[in-house]
Amino acid sequence: MNIVIAQIAPKLGDVAANLETHLDLLEKARKKKAGLVVFPELGLTGYTLKDLVEEVALDPRSDPRFAKFVAKTKGLSAVVGFVEESPAEKGLFYNSAAFVADGRIVHVHRKVYLPTNGLFEEAKFFAQGREFRAFDTPFGRVGLLICRDFLHYGASYVHYASGADMIVCISSAPGRGVGGGDAFETGRMWELMGEAVSYFSSAFVVYANRVGVEDGVTFAGGSFVFAPGGRLAGRAAAVDPDFAVLPVDLAAVGRARRNWLFKRDEKPEVIWRSLERIVRASED
Amino acid sequence: MPPKINPRFVEKVLVAFIREELGKCGCRRGILGLSGGLDSSVCAALGARALGPKNVLGLIMPYGGGFPEDVRDAANLARRLGIRQAVIDISPQIDVYFAAHPTDSRVQRGNKMARERMSILYDYSAREGSFILGTSNKTELLIGYGTIHGDMACAINPMGDLYKTQVRELAAHLRIPAAIRKKAPTAGLWAGQTDEGEIGLSYEELDEILFGLVEGRMSRSEAVAAGHAPAAVDRVLRKIKASEFKRRMPPIAKLSPRSVGHDFLYPYDWGK
Repeated sequence: MNIVIAQIAPKLGDVAANLETHLDLLEKARKKKAGLVVFPELGLTGYTLKDLVEEVALDPRSDPRFAKFVAKTKGLSAVVGFVEESPAEKGLFYNSAAFVADGRIVHVHRKVYLPTNGLFEEAKFFAQGREFRAFDTPFGRVGLLICRDFLHYGASYVHYASGADMIVCISSAPGRGVGGGDAFETGRMWELMGEAVSYFSSAFVVYANRVGVEDGVTFAGGSFVFAPGGRLAGRAAAVDPDFAVLPVDLAAVGRARRNWLFKRDEKPEVIWRSLERIVRASED
Repeated sequence: MPPKINPRFVEKVLVAFIREELGKCGCRRGILGLSGGLDSSVCAALGARALGPKNVLGLIMPYGGGFPEDVRDAANLARRLGIRQAVIDISPQIDVYFAAHPTDSRVQRGNKMARERMSILYDYSAREGSFILGTSNKTELLIGYGTIHGDMACAINPMGDLYKTQVRELAAHLRIPAAIRKKAPTAGLWAGQTDEGEIGLSYEELDEILFGLVEGRMSRSEAVAAGHAPAAVDRVLRKIKASEFKRRMPPIAKLSPRSVGHDFLYPYDWGK
């Protein structure tokens, strides 16, 4: 299967323009025989929204613009990032990712970990998601994460424990640190986690970051795919826009799990009981 | 010392920053004041790479015949980069003002001149349809070594997250002439002024203290334990605190439920 990472620079606050970019790239990906196309976090809106969140929010199940995107996924799967406001929760805005396959919304993940420190202020403007839930797709079981979710490794563990063959993380990660090579030093943090999670979950890890500049902040790009066992399947450009077509062999999950029996020997019930004890104790 | 930078990568990021931030406003032209010193030379070189040399205008704004070497260095740099240049002597309007409102304060005279240059830059940016590229580096911004609404005024600042010692690294990579790189840094407010003489610390020591306090999040005692003279650390801390007002928009008295500067919050790049 070909995984396409659309490493774009969304236009801040302009859903119409970004939707056009997404539709064009979906078409381009189809021509490259992509099975999965991954767009970055808040790709339909841009990242530094602040009070603009309410102007760009949409309900994925009823919004005609989103319906255009969904309709364009006939024969392939795609992950898209947007600001979600559902009719059941008016006035609550989520930083969300939808997994869309063959003209149907399969799952919507709402970002759980909203960074709010230093240059980040997501919890000022977004409501917090409350669960991690893996789901079945045409090519296997998938778990979605959004940016900071991925840096809390318990989130990947939940997807792993629920049988995910692939963890897809979409991101708008700013670059920091210019003392290294021809990429921001923070890129290492993401790859380190990607390599480790793919290794010890014997699963694919797809990380799709954005590029471009907003309010002086440069987004770092450097998207990547790790195959099970920490094998780098390919990476996109640092800082520059890219359209990375990365072929992967989905059978690698089964092979990795025959070689390394982490998954067979995993004991989520022990983890669960231990965590429960810790949480109970902290509540006493 | 602040860590070494990879100047090639920094150049790439800053060139993209200038191009994108101006491009969002439908602007391809930049303007800046050229002093013949390091920071404005580096900024001009970045602007020339980002926008094309002919889209950058360097204004050289001496006070009368003062600092002839700096004027010459600035003009040579502009020629070398292929950017457009113009010389505007600010002494007529400065002299008229101080003839009517005399002062003995060199700082006051210097600040007035810095604001006159700012005023000319904004006028020319309107004439040219260009954006002002800021030249304040991180060291200056942190200790407030600049004139508010003077040389600190700009549309975008590509230099503001580079310590002075890092600007020097970038300057060497950008092949800024040695005549500019080797001269003692000066705000040029009066003859014989040097930054390091006025601040009382070398840029190496200053940057090392700042880096420890800012990126290293050191406390005063940790900075002293790291080997810096307590008096030097205290002086730097005082300067940082005393200049916060130069790094911020002025506070607005809050009255309503939603006020500018408090909870009416939009990105700088709003609608661009």
